[in-house]
Amino acid sequence: MKKLFTVLSLLAATLFSSSWVSAAADLDVNTPAIAAIKNSMQARHAQLSPHYSSGAVGLTADGLVAVRDATAVPLKDRGGINSLVAAENGDRTALYKEIAVGNGHPEWAGEIRSTFAGRWVDKAQSGWYYQNAGGWVKK
Amino acid sequence: MLRLLLICLIFIGFTQQAAAISSIQITVGEVNAPVGQLKNAKFQVDLKGAQPTLILNADLKPTNEKEFAHFDLKCGQFLTEQIGQAQCLNGQFKSKQISAPFSVNFVSHPSDFALDIDFNGANFSDEAGLHAGEKLTGQIKMAAKKIISTDTWAWDGLISWTAGELYWQPFYFGKAGNTFEINGTFKQDILNIQNASLLVNEVGKMQATATINIKTKIVEDVKVSAKDVDFAGLYAVFLKPMAEKSAFGNMEVSGKADWKFEIKNFAPTSFELNLRDANIEDKNGKFGFSHINAHIPWDYDEPKNLQLAYKSGHLLKIGLRETKLTAEINRFSLTAPKLDLPVLDGALSLSDVSAVRLGDNWAWHLRLDLVPITLNEFSKALGWPTMKGQISGQIPLVTYANKQLNMDGAMTFNAFSGSISMNDLVIDDPLGVAPRLYADLQMRNLDLGDLTRTFSFGAIEGKLDGDVKDMVLENWKPVQLDASIQTSDGKHLKKISQRAVENITALGGEGTAAALQRTFLRFFKEFNYEKIGLSCKLRQDVCEMGGVESTSTGYIIVKGKGIPAVNVNGYTQKVSLEDLLGRIKRITDSNTKVIVN
Repeated sequence: MKKLFTVLSLLAATLFSSSWVSAAADLDVNTPAIAAIKNSMQARHAQLSPHYSSGAVGLTADGLVAVRDATAVPLKDRGGINSLVAAENGDRTALYKEIAVGNGHPEWAGEIRSTFAGRWVDKAQSGWYYQNAGGWVKK
Repeated sequence: MLRLLLICLIFIGFTQQAAAISSIQITVGEVNAPVGQLKNAKFQVDLKGAQPTLILNADLKPTNEKEFAHFDLKCGQFLTEQIGQAQCLNGQFKSKQISAPFSVNFVSHPSDFALDIDFNGANFSDEAGLHAGEKLTGQIKMAAKKIISTDTWAWDGLISWTAGELYWQPFYFGKAGNTFEINGTFKQDILNIQNASLLVNEVGKMQATATINIKTKIVEDVKVSAKDVDFAGLYAVFLKPMAEKSAFGNMEVSGKADWKFEIKNFAPTSFELNLRDANIEDKNGKFGFSHINAHIPWDYDEPKNLQLAYKSGHLLKIGLRETKLTAEINRFSLTAPKLDLPVLDGALSLSDVSAVRLGDNWAWHLRLDLVPITLNEFSKALGWPTMKGQISGQIPLVTYANKQLNMDGAMTFNAFSGSISMNDLVIDDPLGVAPRLYADLQMRNLDLGDLTRTFSFGAIEGKLDGDVKDMVLENWKPVQLDASIQTSDGKHLKKISQRAVENITALGGEGTAAALQRTFLRFFKEFNYEKIGLSCKLRQDVCEMGGVESTSTGYIIVKGKGIPAVNVNGYTQKVSLEDLLGRIKRITDSNTKVIVN
């Protein structure tokens, strides 16, 4: 009985702490670093947008982007698509880290990343692809 | 293999007796050959009309593929006038990944054959899209002869395309007009390309040799060389795709180049790039160099000497003057006892330079001596108000590793008749999207006369000391610091003008500036003071202000002396940095700019 109680209280503590994290983290916190990353992502978005629409690039379940179907990219842009995706993922990873730092809790980066993964999918235009447990899904 | 051959023989035999037969149809269940498998093959030759036609449908699985793929081959005009000769005109090949209208002429004798293929608007792509061509029009000519004595095939070929585009990861050939002339030998799994002459549009002529093991598909040895080619084309077609993720992946270039490299078993073993009168300019404006002459060799097995010279250049907005550099490259490291980089009117003198490539990143360390650069030039380059003085310093150890730059030592700016030194500088990810800088600053005996004239603040005479501790800049903007400035100790003239009093009052908050104007003090042009001081403890965007002394309602910024004495008090304890910078900007903008010479 005592053991069961310990397990239950541990479980409750875990649930409580994780919901507390997402409730407490200010995802819109602004610092010069976050502003710089957002600017850089915004500038890149014009280049990425046609690739989201064509299905060449999709949103992954872990808050990043990935090349889904290179054949949807015009030949002349095909070589650049990988570096475009790599640069975007560099910025996204930095963004999650900086939002966690901006909240004074660098250890929250993982949690913030998963929250953002859902946010990106919600914000995605219809026709864009995102990844779930079953694979790529067209929104 | 034998079964496949048998079917072919049957086919040729029948066609020779065409007069008696109007159509031939062969259905084959399955054919196994070393190169792959063929199943559900349907082969049909129709000799009825004036133009005989040929149709072949089958499922094909090359040995290295997992699944069968269907293809249709059709010859609108199929001619076989002699044994060993076949012509397919108005042909069409279609499969999931290839769609190619073509014509073929094939001539075969016991020990030689020739194959000419013309394609017109052909498309192909592998599953992943990493090797693909669109609307390709061109020609492939291939001829081979067997040398019986050595059991070797000697072959030569010509590939040319006049229209269409090709992507062969990571390279893109967007401009047609490319011709590849190739010859070599083939003996028992080893394909030897003895000489390939590649004429690449916009680049020029390149030579290549290669050895490929057909069985293991290992490219055992590749050598490519290009002499006196156009650097812009070479960069766009070959170098940019390989440098895409580095700092050199987004440049505008011009000039002439020689380029050669060697690859053995998929690993590069040597490389050489020579540039003549080349220019490069980063499209993001981070750097640029003009009139570059360079010899950049690299060899896996032996050390090589690098030479690099340029007439002028820039790093961000800082101008670089004519420079000649030499260094030794040893596999994945670079060393140089001394590198002199003339910068503005001074120089960065680097010594004991050592750099090493670890994975995808570089790590390096060096000793830095700043040959004095005048502040006049430096401030001009950065678009600051023109200043007098110079920057100098010796930093015994500068290191860069794991994307972090560290300076052990102080850099000194001799400015405003005093000194500003920067200690313990650390920059995280200096070339990244959000660099973070940590440093401490120390200012001693700055001449307030020079300073206030430079920044158009209203005249103050005196000397100033300052300390900035635990400074953190994010993307070059301050987010944390403990800063204080105050009048230096010692005897010196301490006078403050009415205008400066008003401006300092405005710094402490709006509304109080006019106070002076309402009193008799407005008749005095300047006042004596005992001490001036201001401090800011910045956390994120909020600055907690202080002065030379605290009062019950705030703090004293200027403590007056003599008669009439003027005290300037600050009342706002906490102010957002944005507001404070806004106030300073308004003050300095509204005053006329004075240039100190």
